[in-house]
Amino acid sequence: MDYSILLICLLGCPVVAAIAMALLPAKATPRGLFEAIHVLSLAVVAVSGLWLVASVFAGSDIFALGGWFHLDGLGALFLGLIAVIAPATGLYSLPYVAHDVADGKLGPSQVKQYYVFFSLFVFSMILAVTSNNIIMMWVSVEATTLSTVFLVGVYRTKLALEAAWKYVIVCTAGVAFGLFGTLLVYANAADVMADAHQAVFWTSILPMAPALDHSLTMIAFVFAAIGFGTKAGLFPMHTWLPDAHSEAPSPVSALLSGVLLKCALLIVLRFYILAAANVGAGFPQLVMVILGVLSVGYAAFEVYRQRDIKRKLAYSSCENVGLIAVCFGIGGPLGIIAGLVHCIAHGLTKALMFCVAGNVMMKYHTRDLEKIKGILAVAPVTGVLFVAGCLALAGFPPFAMFVSEMAMILAGIAADALWLVALVLVALVVVIMALVTMITGSALGRAPEGMARKDVPALALVPECVLLALVVLLGVALPGPLFGSIERAGAIVMSYEDEYPASENLFEGALAALAGDEVEEEVSE
Amino acid sequence: MFGYPLVNVLGACLIITSMLVVLARTGRAAAWLYSLQSLVLVAVLASLGAVTGSTELFTWSATAFATKVVLVPAILLFTLKKIGDEARTDLPPKLNPMKSVALVAVEVFVCFVAVSGIDLPTAAEVRPTLAVSLAHFFIGLTCIVIQRSIFKQIFGYCLMENGSHVTLALLAPQAPELVEIGVATDAIFAVIILAVLVWRMARYARTLDADDLCELKG
Repeated sequence: MDYSILLICLLGCPVVAAIAMALLPAKATPRGLFEAIHVLSLAVVAVSGLWLVASVFAGSDIFALGGWFHLDGLGALFLGLIAVIAPATGLYSLPYVAHDVADGKLGPSQVKQYYVFFSLFVFSMILAVTSNNIIMMWVSVEATTLSTVFLVGVYRTKLALEAAWKYVIVCTAGVAFGLFGTLLVYANAADVMADAHQAVFWTSILPMAPALDHSLTMIAFVFAAIGFGTKAGLFPMHTWLPDAHSEAPSPVSALLSGVLLKCALLIVLRFYILAAANVGAGFPQLVMVILGVLSVGYAAFEVYRQRDIKRKLAYSSCENVGLIAVCFGIGGPLGIIAGLVHCIAHGLTKALMFCVAGNVMMKYHTRDLEKIKGILAVAPVTGVLFVAGCLALAGFPPFAMFVSEMAMILAGIAADALWLVALVLVALVVVIMALVTMITGSALGRAPEGMARKDVPALALVPECVLLALVVLLGVALPGPLFGSIERAGAIVMSYEDEYPASENLFEGALAALAGDEVEEEVSE
Repeated sequence: MFGYPLVNVLGACLIITSMLVVLARTGRAAAWLYSLQSLVLVAVLASLGAVTGSTELFTWSATAFATKVVLVPAILLFTLKKIGDEARTDLPPKLNPMKSVALVAVEVFVCFVAVSGIDLPTAAEVRPTLAVSLAHFFIGLTCIVIQRSIFKQIFGYCLMENGSHVTLALLAPQAPELVEIGVATDAIFAVIILAVLVWRMARYARTLDADDLCELKG
């Protein structure tokens, strides 16, 4: 099987779908045709994406188009997120858009706009995680912004347009920093490599990383962390995130929060690997810890303060992206694995919660949590999903985020960063309070007078149930192949340190080392 | 006055023209001045091509002429025409001209200090222009922050992008053609999307004042 052709099909399918839909007249084309093309395209993305991910998990390393595209173990994890969450949110879009059309919020041209840009958005994210050309990486991140602007502003209200404007101006300006960082790395690499044309490829730069100029690499990493960190929603560059997430249609918010933020983190991680190989892990880890702690600390209190359900979830995304940055900042095999597991766990959980928030909005026609009461009484399935989603987001067992947060705490202890663990735990307690309050205030309580007991359409509930099942599955027992691939991805990140070869069992080794340290301490006592 | 000194003199002209874009009173004037500043950028690329012998840079200067000197200003002038009387585009900036000039001067100084620490053989001869390109980037950011008119904020993005373009040319004159095309195409799409959004804002919200667009705070 030639996987490079499959990779090109994966990239091409959403683009072809977007072009096909763009060519159709908005008013004369029935909505069903847009929906059919949309579903078909996402089905191809799901099948080909998961196929590629499985082949990478089985040990393949896929290159395509002369090395411009590359799928390694690290990229495959994020491609897996896209291949699961994009079809789930895409399917959820059908009843959601239909509801908005019935409500008069969306006209024919806006429906067409929604489906065209949804496909382009999926394409740009696939491009971001599979690009091996560092300039193309930047172009793809910029493309994610440009393709989502009209999804955020699809309602054409003043607030939606305000959110879209802030989103595009903050992200394009922020990502321009990323371009500067990328150019510095390229120029630096072109100077030390025999063939300057190879200096655009991440896989060619990485082996040469120790030879790059140290000060330029450090400057480039800071620029990349600020630039792509803006897109990831790290504090203090997060300002676009709550506005865009709250004003966008819920399936788009789910995709933004569940996948896009992680794609941006992947690019930061690529630069982290280069910087660690060049100047040692200490500098990039320090930058990540600073950005991570600030994000977690600030966002945790905002999660508690917000009354708007989608803004609350948006700040929760900022907090969780901060947690991932803290994990990478702690470093070591445990920290890196904790960060990668948290990317997956949070991606799935947040996609679920934004879709559930969409159910709530379809039912209550408001985002104000003060007016949302008794979800369990009026929409029982949505209510159960809401409660489970809140508990999952709060990091309770048996959900996936419990595993990643426990791994993060262990990583902090292993790295002797107890103060860091303490700070993060305080923030997590605040978030738990906020989410438990959300359950008691909105899932329980007395439903508004006259509201009929009827759940949202089954087509909206099916993708949510699938997402919840995955969140529980990953919380109860990470499947062996997935965990093996996470370890391999962790080994790619740790490749700058000779003591962690790619074949090593990183997680068990790190846990054994941690247990060994404790035994030694007991013996010495 | 030829060779690298010419590149550095043109670099200084970039700062002057970008200041003029930031200080322009009307959107129309800003568009024309941006076209002028892009012409200087084309001259920088061409002179750098002549000095380094890089044929890629001559191609870049041709594409920069088509996209930045002609296409981007045309898109922005067309947007102004489309907006018409639906909203005010010529809002005064939040900072007066004297303070803006002082701020830019500080940025240029800081960038010169930062660049003096870089030790890269390709940048040795063009260190002043490298500092200018970095400063250019921050002048663009300043333009976004100080402008009240969101139409004029687009020029901030354009200036940032021009700064990145010059840096790319200075540090990587042999970069493959496709890299430059990728960056330039992305910038064109960004300007089109920003222009459409500004036009929609004028049409649906009847304002282009950034101070009116703060209902989503908090």
